[in-house]
Amino acid sequence: MIVETDGYRFDFQDAIDAFKFDETDNTKSTFHGAPMKAVDVIAMLPDAYLFIEIKDYDSPEEFDELSGADEIDRKAKRDNFKWLKNYLKYKYRDSYLYRHAEGKADKPIHYLCLINFDNALNLALRKSLKSELPVGKASRRWVHELSKSCQVLNLDAWNRNFPKWPVQKLVRNIEKVR
Amino acid sequence: MITKLKFENFTAFEKLDIDFSPGINLFIGENGTGKTHILKALYAACDITKSKKGFAEKINDVFYPSGKQIGRLVKRSKASCSGYVEVKRNFFFFEPDIIALRLTVTNHTMTPDKAKITGSPKQWMDNSVESVFIPVKDMMANAPGFRSLYATRNIHFEEVYSDIIDRAFLPALRGPIDRDRGKLLDILQKSMDGKVISKNEEFFLKNKQGELEFTLLAEGVRKLGLLWLLIQNGTLLSGSVLFWDEPEANLNPRLMQTVVGILMELQRLGVQVFVSTHDYVLLKEFDLAVREGDRIRYHSLYRSKETQEIMHSASDKFQDLAPNAIDDTFGSLIDRQISNDMGGLGK
Repeated sequence: MIVETDGYRFDFQDAIDAFKFDETDNTKSTFHGAPMKAVDVIAMLPDAYLFIEIKDYDSPEEFDELSGADEIDRKAKRDNFKWLKNYLKYKYRDSYLYRHAEGKADKPIHYLCLINFDNALNLALRKSLKSELPVGKASRRWVHELSKSCQVLNLDAWNRNFPKWPVQKLVRNIEKVR
Repeated sequence: MITKLKFENFTAFEKLDIDFSPGINLFIGENGTGKTHILKALYAACDITKSKKGFAEKINDVFYPSGKQIGRLVKRSKASCSGYVEVKRNFFFFEPDIIALRLTVTNHTMTPDKAKITGSPKQWMDNSVESVFIPVKDMMANAPGFRSLYATRNIHFEEVYSDIIDRAFLPALRGPIDRDRGKLLDILQKSMDGKVISKNEEFFLKNKQGELEFTLLAEGVRKLGLLWLLIQNGTLLSGSVLFWDEPEANLNPRLMQTVVGILMELQRLGVQVFVSTHDYVLLKEFDLAVREGDRIRYHSLYRSKETQEIMHSASDKFQDLAPNAIDDTFGSLIDRQISNDMGGLGK
């Protein structure tokens, strides 16, 4: 099952279906069409769903507090990091609501963020995102999990960990910070 | 400036051929990939121009193989074999004339006097270069008595530990301190809140509160104190070479910023710097501190997956360095998390 979007080509070899979730072409059956944020790709596996969000930045260091030259620069980079974490969080939640309304939030959902940061920065982002998404049941009153897991990883880590879902970069589709 | 290092069948290396930056050279790699060996070999080659020891003898003293049998520095092999270490340098950055010094030993060579020295040993020794090797373990607090003990007894310490104390005890240079060095000393004094004095082979940090012996200071502050001494006594001047094995040990992130700032400034003043590290923050600090005109090279040491031999790659840009053992460690954490959270999905 091939999906091409945002300069990447995914091949979900064991998926039942996979499609561009934020589809803007209203002639397609997968047209999104709701005033909500949307992750880039959804893959439907026999026992789980994958929500996939892609981010390619030309200056990853703009999100890394450790590369701040002084306190002002560090604060700006902390703010960028926080903004990205919130952006990823709300994208997931809106996508979950949409799928709930479709009646298709019936399997565990893994949120995979493919981001061109180094492993250290991705690890920090994952830690921050995981607690706020939230992963698992956030309350004793919940009977469902909003998400089963969330991972933030770069292209190398993706292909190392998911040989059944190989991904390759097609073109540079670099985003500016915010 | 040191321009090149070659190893063949030396210590852990089968073959190694590295070109250096005249400024800062940063080595990363997992344990057992020979970072310290590279620093020690280069240091030995520099030190002999001042100490006038033989290259073989100095190599033997800084590596300290069992029984001081220099042949044990040849990479282990079932058959008889020889190995060499070769260092090349020029006298000034832009000068094309390069001289070489090569030490060849076999695994049967027992003593340094039986080793073979080739290249241009006379020219090498005639052109002295100031150098200093800062080992991982702090020696400043252990200075009292150590030098005399090392000189009179056969104690099992690599010579870098005694050398660093000798360098620290060198008296201050005569005359006023020039502006560049004064600036560096000021930065260090602010960071450690005082200056260093020595009395009867003991070091103290002196400030308004009085004199505090080094044994009572945090190890990170002792490191700044050592740098202060080496700059103040002129060991670290233009044309000198600094080797520092894992500067991050016992250094908090704030002091790390100071240390990296000082090393970058020393490079700008013409000091060649060699640093080995396992620390992500230290690398990030260097990456951040680089300005137009700075000369820095990142060296990665790693084991080939096929042969298990140690390989080398280098890049002048941190983000282009591959493999990057430090970031790979974070990558391994990501892999384990995915495995825990997602089981066999996608595999």
